Order: sequence, then C-alpha cells, then structure tokens
Amino acid sequence: MSADRDGALASLYPFLYGTRKDEAKDNAALLHSVAEKAAHSIAVKQVFFEANKEAVVAAAQGIAEVYRRQGRMFAMGNGGSSCDAAHFAVEFLHPITAGRPALSAINLTADAAMMSAVGNDVGFAHVFVRQLISLARRGDGLIGFSTSGNSANLIAAFAKARELGMATIGVAGMDGGEMGRAGLLDHCLVVKTDSIHRIQETHVTLYHILWDLVHTLLADDRGALAVPAGPGARR
Amino acid sequence: MKYVDEFRDPKKADRLLREIRGLVEQIPVCRARPLQIMEVCGGHTHAIFKWGLEGLLPDRVELVHGPGCPVCVLPMGRVDDCVALAEHPNVILATFGDAIRVPGSRKSLLQAKADGADVRIVYSPLDALKIARDQPDKEVVFFALGFETTMPSTAFTVLQAEREGIRNFSLLCNHITIIATIKAILDSPELTLDGFLGPGHVSVVIGTAPYGFIAEHYKKPIVVAGFEPLDILQSIVMVLRQLAEGRCAVENQYRRVVPEPGNGPGLAAIARVFELREFFEWRGLGSIDHSGVRVRDAYARFDAESRFSLPGLKIADPKACQCGEVLKGVIKPWQCKVFGGACTPETPLGALMVSSEGACAAYHNYGGAHLAERRRAASPEVAA
Repeated sequence: MSADRDGALASLYPFLYGTRKDEAKDNAALLHSVAEKAAHSIAVKQVFFEANKEAVVAAAQGIAEVYRRQGRMFAMGNGGSSCDAAHFAVEFLHPITAGRPALSAINLTADAAMMSAVGNDVGFAHVFVRQLISLARRGDGLIGFSTSGNSANLIAAFAKARELGMATIGVAGMDGGEMGRAGLLDHCLVVKTDSIHRIQETHVTLYHILWDLVHTLLADDRGALAVPAGPGARR
Repeated sequence: MKYVDEFRDPKKADRLLREIRGLVEQIPVCRARPLQIMEVCGGHTHAIFKWGLEGLLPDRVELVHGPGCPVCVLPMGRVDDCVALAEHPNVILATFGDAIRVPGSRKSLLQAKADGADVRIVYSPLDALKIARDQPDKEVVFFALGFETTMPSTAFTVLQAEREGIRNFSLLCNHITIIATIKAILDSPELTLDGFLGPGHVSVVIGTAPYGFIAEHYKKPIVVAGFEPLDILQSIVMVLRQLAEGRCAVENQYRRVVPEPGNGPGLAAIARVFELREFFEWRGLGSIDHSGVRVRDAYARFDAESRFSLPGLKIADPKACQCGEVLKGVIKPWQCKVFGGACTPETPLGALMVSSEGACAAYHNYGGAHLAERRRAASPEVAA
C-alpha cells in the first residue's frame, strides 16, 4: 500500500493508525461543545422553572406538610435517578446550612440486600413496594425520580403509597410518561426535554430548591408563601 | 443478463443454502442461541428483503440490520439546517432524491419545495456544480451525505469548483465514516454479534485493510460482500466457515469490484478536502466520536456551514419511533410499535422508513408488513 493511501486512511481513521488529530482543532471543537451543552442545560432549567414555579412551591408545601405531622420522606429512583434519590435524602438528613434541622428522609435504593432479594425472588417491579409495606405509614411522603416517567417499580410504589395514605411527588422528564398519566401523584413535576442528561441536571436543581423551600416553610410556619389577607393575618 | 443472471441462479442458491445448514451444525454457539450476523450496509439490507433471503436461512442464523444507510442515520437537526438553507431566498438546494423526504422537525425538503423553496434533485454533485455554473447569480448548496462511498465524488466536485473558480457553490457536509461506526457497535456492552457482512461499496473506496481491527482485536469474522443474492449467501457461507473453523479474518467475497487496496485517487481527494470531525450526531445512535468529516479550512469557501448561519439545533426523534432500537439490532422492524400503521413508506415517521435502503422501508416494501401482522398475532406482548 502506498504511503499516500496510508496517509489518507490514517486521516480518516486515526484510531486505527495510532495517529492523533490536530490538537488545536480538537480543542476548539471541544470548547464549542462545552459552551453548547452548558447553554442547553441553562435553557432547559429556565424553561422548566418558569413554567413550573407554582408547582414547585406546591410540592415544597406538600413535603413541609409531611414534616409538620412528624412524617418521613422516602425517596426512590433507578440508575442515575437512584443517585438523585440518595442525594435528595442526604440533603434533608444532613443539612449544610447552619440553623436548619435534620429531617428524616430514607433512601429506598440504599439496601442492596433488600433490592437484590426482592428483585430475585419477586421481581424488580416490587423492590420499592416491599420496602414501603414494612417501613412507611400514613402521613409519610414518597418522592420518585424517573427521566422517562415509565419505571414500573416507581409506578407500583406510588400506587402502594396512595393505598397507605402517603403524600406522593413524582419528578420526571420527557412527557412525564406513565407517572404523569396514572393519577397516583399529588405533585408531578416534568422536565419536558428528551435529553436524559439535561433532565437529570434540572432534577438536581429542583430538589436543591425544594429542600430550601421546605426549610423556609417550616421555619416561619406560614404554610404558604403568600401571606393570608384580612384581619388577624400574621406577618 | 451477463454479470447479473449468474448471481441469481436458484440452483446455486440452493447449494449455498445447503452448505449454510451444514455449517450451522458445526458451530457450537448455534446450539445455545441463534447466530447473529450484521449486514452493515443498507444496500445489503435492501437486497436481503428484495430477494427474501431472510426467510430462506435456517432459524439459527439471524441477520441484524446495521446502520449503513446514510439517509436513515441523518439527525433531524441536520435536516432542519438543510431546510433553513433551502428557504433562503437566493439559494438553490441540490439533493439526492432519497434525502428529499426525510422528515425534519418542521418539514422535509419536499415540503419546503412545495412551499416555494428551490429544491432540486440531482444524481451527482457534479449536477449541482453545473447548476452553479449555469446560474451564477444564485447560491447553490449541495446536500452532501453518504459514507466513504460518496465522499470521493463530493471531494472531486469541490476540487473541480476550485479549478474553475466557481464561487457560488458550497456543500452542507453530512458525510460519515463506517469504520468508526462499526467500532462503536463492537464497543457496545451488550454486543451479541458473531460476524459481519462488510459494505461492498464503501470497500471499493477504502479497500479491505481498515477492517483488520475487527478480526484482530474484536475476534469477529468479516466478509466484504456483493449485492446480488448469491453474493450475500456466499458471504454468509464464508462467515460461517470461519466460525466453524474457529478463525477470524477479513475476507473479500466481492473481488470482482473491490480491490484490496481501495481507490487511491479517491482516498487522496478525500484527505485533501475533508478532515475528521471530533464527533457527529447519528439519528438513533447518538454522538459517535470520529464518525463524520467536515470541509477543511483550505476549502472553507465551499463549506455552507462557514458561509451561512444555520440553526444547528439538536432535535429529538419522534417518541413513537423506534428507529434507534432497530438500528442497534435490539428489535426487528416489525416489532416497532408504529411499523406499518402510523409509519409507512408513503407517510414515514422515522428515517428508516424513508430511504429504500432503510430496514423498515425494505421490510415494508417486500411483504414485511404482512409478516409483521402474523408475528404480532403470534406474540401479542410485542404489540403492547
């Protein structure tokens, strides 16, 4: 094979020929990609929070109500969303802001023995339901994260939570999927994009905001952000 | 017809099928599961359906239809860019015929043409250059797409335009490379493929050497195959023979067309005009590193992306579409929820139904819709 042909093939398939592309150009494309993805992430968040600010406050009120009646929050999700469930729980368990109390929150994805036992013996759709049956009680709350909104184990758990008299909050992406349609949620927050990364980035911002709002609501015990009007209204 | 009938002889096909059945008995993995062979090229997919080859193979040999149809893997955002260019008042947009119906998020090029855009079908990029030559007051943009097969003709057209000093010709470059794509498929965590039918047309340009890594590093046989029914059956025999003998090599069944070293002048033109993009977005497959090319800076005046401002948006495919799953071989075309219903060749939802080389269109056009109904009835959970 001629050197020219080899050179042409190496320029098309550098990974086969151990050659590297022009570093400056590579870097320029990567920098462009960083800016593009960051801008997309910001835009998705702006659109979501602008369209859902009342719903976010309402969800925070729902969680605050759980804590007012001495209940506990349970959190669940699959894959990257299981990390969000863990993150949600730790925000409440271990507040980073001085003067804010620790609040009870249980990550349902943490117990590997329970997850694998139920998954193996009964089926993965039951891994959260079985934990709720033994741990949850009336007045507790359940939050579930699913980028598609279609996770069968989350849907089953929300149905059980309804039966048990728990508050239910679903955090989804895309079109909300089955979580949005099943009528099992007190609050359903949907990040309407198809990019799973952008959905999850918005979910992180969302539960940070929820955590903040819940503490604010509990701190002044107003019950709502709006100050009731009329005689006797507190300030 | 000479050079055609020889490759469609039913008696020879019978002999090859007998050989396939015999080889299957000698391959241990066939006892546990069906053997999966991916035909990478859309031309092969089309031929397999046209000649009903899938139905002739034993159940233990399954053909997986790969991503080798460049129209099918074109992301919707790129179609939108092209429509935006076509709607520019001074632009004539020249495109291959099979790309004109690919749905964008707003409209296809065909719909843009119906709305008044000057969209013209060409058979070669040189036809687009002729339009530019004939209408110097207009900007002519060629919608360049295809694998390594069509890259040389686009590159030579750019070089020709440079030689002639034509200033009103440019291209929207969507050329992609098959080798990076095969590598991405091989790197998939759930890969169950046992071998490949290599793309015949691409190999005319690049030769057979670039496939070496498939056999050496991934230990999979690959046979560069022709497009007549006997070509395909013989290539399957060659893959099975390697598996039966415990070998992995690059073999060339299509020797009458594919020279081992490829096309030197074509490769040189590609290298002169194009350079690799760091990554390129594929419909259904996502971003694949080093899988697309762009026009080099030296030829930026022929690059529509440099000359025009384009929306450059990333648009998700319609949710009902399962083109991505079909492209990855996770499901068969008939298992898609919209196949033959909401998505037909007349009103395609997904890109795989647009081009005749798309697996869904090929399946639909050659009786696959009836087979889909039968199979759906037999396995109702698929239709759920």
